[in-house]
Amino acid sequence: MKNPRILVVDDEENIRLLFKEELEEEGFEIGLASNGFEALDKLKTERFDLVVLDIKMPGMDGIQTLNEIKNIKKDQPVILCSAYGEFKQDFSSWVSDGYVVKSADTRELKQTIKNVLGL
Amino acid sequence: MNPVDLLGKIIEISHSNLELASRITSILNIISQDMRSEEAIIYTFDKDKRLSCRYANQRSALFNILNKYRCHIGEGIVGSVAQKRSPLFYTMRDIPPRFGCLFYPELDGKLENYKVFAFLPLADDSYLYGVLVLCAVNRDVIHDADKIFLSILSREVGGILRSYDLILSSKKRISELATLSELGKVLTSNIDPQELLKNIALIIAKSLNAAFVTIKLGYAFLKLDAQRFTYGIIDPSVQDHVAELEETSARLLRAVSMRDCAPDEYEDAFKLSLFSAPIVSKNRVLGTLTICGDKMEQTYALGEDGQYLINTIANYISSGLENTLLNTRLRDAVRELSDAQKRLIEQEKFRSLGEMTANIAHEIKNPLVIIGGFAKRLARQIDLDRTENKYISIILNEVTRLESILNEVLNYVKETPLVAEMCSINDCLDEVLYLLTSDSSWEEINIAKTYDPRLPPISCDSQQLKQVLINILMNSHEAMHGRGTITIQTKQTTYENRPFIAISIADTGGGIDPANIDNVFNPFFTTKERGTGLGLAISNKIIMNHKGHIDVENIAGKGVTFIIYLPAKNHITKEEFL
Ligand SMILES: Nc1ncnc2c1ncn2[C@@H]1O[C@H](COP(=O)(O)OP(=O)(O)OP(=O)(O)O)[C@@H](O)[C@H]1O
Ligand SMILES: [Mg+2]
Ligand SMILES: [Mg+2]
Repeated sequence: MKNPRILVVDDEENIRLLFKEELEEEGFEIGLASNGFEALDKLKTERFDLVVLDIKMPGMDGIQTLNEIKNIKKDQPVILCSAYGEFKQDFSSWVSDGYVVKSADTRELKQTIKNVLGL
Repeated sequence: MNPVDLLGKIIEISHSNLELASRITSILNIISQDMRSEEAIIYTFDKDKRLSCRYANQRSALFNILNKYRCHIGEGIVGSVAQKRSPLFYTMRDIPPRFGCLFYPELDGKLENYKVFAFLPLADDSYLYGVLVLCAVNRDVIHDADKIFLSILSREVGGILRSYDLILSSKKRISELATLSELGKVLTSNIDPQELLKNIALIIAKSLNAAFVTIKLGYAFLKLDAQRFTYGIIDPSVQDHVAELEETSARLLRAVSMRDCAPDEYEDAFKLSLFSAPIVSKNRVLGTLTICGDKMEQTYALGEDGQYLINTIANYISSGLENTLLNTRLRDAVRELSDAQKRLIEQEKFRSLGEMTANIAHEIKNPLVIIGGFAKRLARQIDLDRTENKYISIILNEVTRLESILNEVLNYVKETPLVAEMCSINDCLDEVLYLLTSDSSWEEINIAKTYDPRLPPISCDSQQLKQVLINILMNSHEAMHGRGTITIQTKQTTYENRPFIAISIADTGGGIDPANIDNVFNPFFTTKERGTGLGLAISNKIIMNHKGHIDVENIAGKGVTFIIYLPAKNHITKEEFL
């Protein structure tokens, strides 16, 4: 079986790097985008099984990006990921398939990804 | 002395600087001498419009007897001279059998020496001032010339009395006006009601030359400590009279003197110019003003103008009291307003501080995740020797600590919507207490509960409320170092006329340093080595979200009482009634 492909979207380079290394270790294939526009471009040309989307980003934030993604690919699974739980109550975040608060401990992130992918 | 010289002498005396009484006495001395009349006595009208014997020549033997009695106009010889305004002359032989007021038991045997009597009205064309009585031992007749002269003389003396009257009444009037203007000044200056009433009593007493002035308030009015304000000393002998007058004037709603409440004792009591007026405002008797005159001569007697003055003063006082009442209400309202404003500012401060904190926390969170995340990878990937492993685990521990602090901060600034439900505060408290006291560190803490068993359930977020209770109880626990008493009370109360419930939690932990008291609700304020200083800030925010507030009563050195106020009814009540 082919490895699931995950697109990590975050404006912080080191977060991207951390997530890439941690998730590759779990056997995922990782694509990277540093903002919402880049992410949309990538999604138009490539197929990803899951998008891990940071919320606080300059330009187009995660919530807006989420809406755009759902516009072009209604069934694209997305997990929102932010520094804290401020958007948990936001209606638009309900459209996402998961919500993770960033932590040095990446176990919650990995578990949520596996849940969404049905692994 | 020839008649013209005599008249001149009398007029001279009347213009002298002597006191009124001594001027009249001097005049009577001269008349008695010149007319060879052993007695020269003047009757004038007293405040009851009765003729009473007020002045006499120095040698008069009858004065001390006569001045005990008074007579009405028309009564006896004196009374009828006053009524008819024409003089009467008698000798011992032809004096009528009904002498009226001239003959009293005490006079028995004292009149036989006198051979002639003259009774002369002291009157001008328009007004009667009294009666002059002359009694002579060494004269057999009064000649017509003397009679004519005496008529002129009595007219003159009447005129003198009249001008005294005018001077006295204008003096009185001036002092009244001065009193009222003094009162006006005091009433418009915004001093506190206590001072106001004391000053009023003082001003009235000084300007009316009163022995004492006492203002009694009938209502528990203006939250004053005292209900009676007195200037001077109330003689114990009149204390009962004062009480009686106060009661009567409040009942009759008008100024009263002793005559109104004790008609039988009147003869005695009238000597006290003691009177009382109700202080009325909007048909409600606020209290009474009672004045006791000092010296008969100069003081106020409650005649018609006296009554008018007292009523005017009482009205002044009532409007003054109304004013202060309004002022106190205004002050209360202003205070409430500024309290509300303070709270609003506090809220605003919290909000902007919250935003700032959220931003900072967010900025810190990402680097922290990166540091911690890679440290973890390091720890996993390389098989490190013991020292380096120790360092990495220190980094990881600190990252975990920082993260949990950040989470707490973010929790605080995050707007958590209320999940309101009807819940029983007493039950919430018991649940929290059960939870806390199951820990052994609570073993030596004595918990005293006085719950209101009829406390109505209120609409609130019980999870959040429990968080507040835990924060406050934990603070007490920490302040008491695990040993002491926590007293918990619940009750129904009101705040700004709306129903509230109050939960008070008191400890014996030594209280808060007064220097810190204003800071304890500020986020991050802590005096504890490992405290975040968010416990009370979060609690305050939660209670404010519930439209309630927290009060602190601090007794430095003893302990603190935190009182949580929560609205007992939500705003739906109005519709429910409809
Ligand atoms: N019951 C109390 N007795 C004495 N001081 C108190 C009491 N409650 C609060 N304080 C003072 O108020 C400060 C702030 O309290 P708060 O609960 O906000 O923070 P903390 O207890 O220091 O930290 P945290 O609750 O976050 O662990 C405390 O550090 C303490 O100085
Ligand atoms: Mg970001
Ligand atoms: Mg605390």
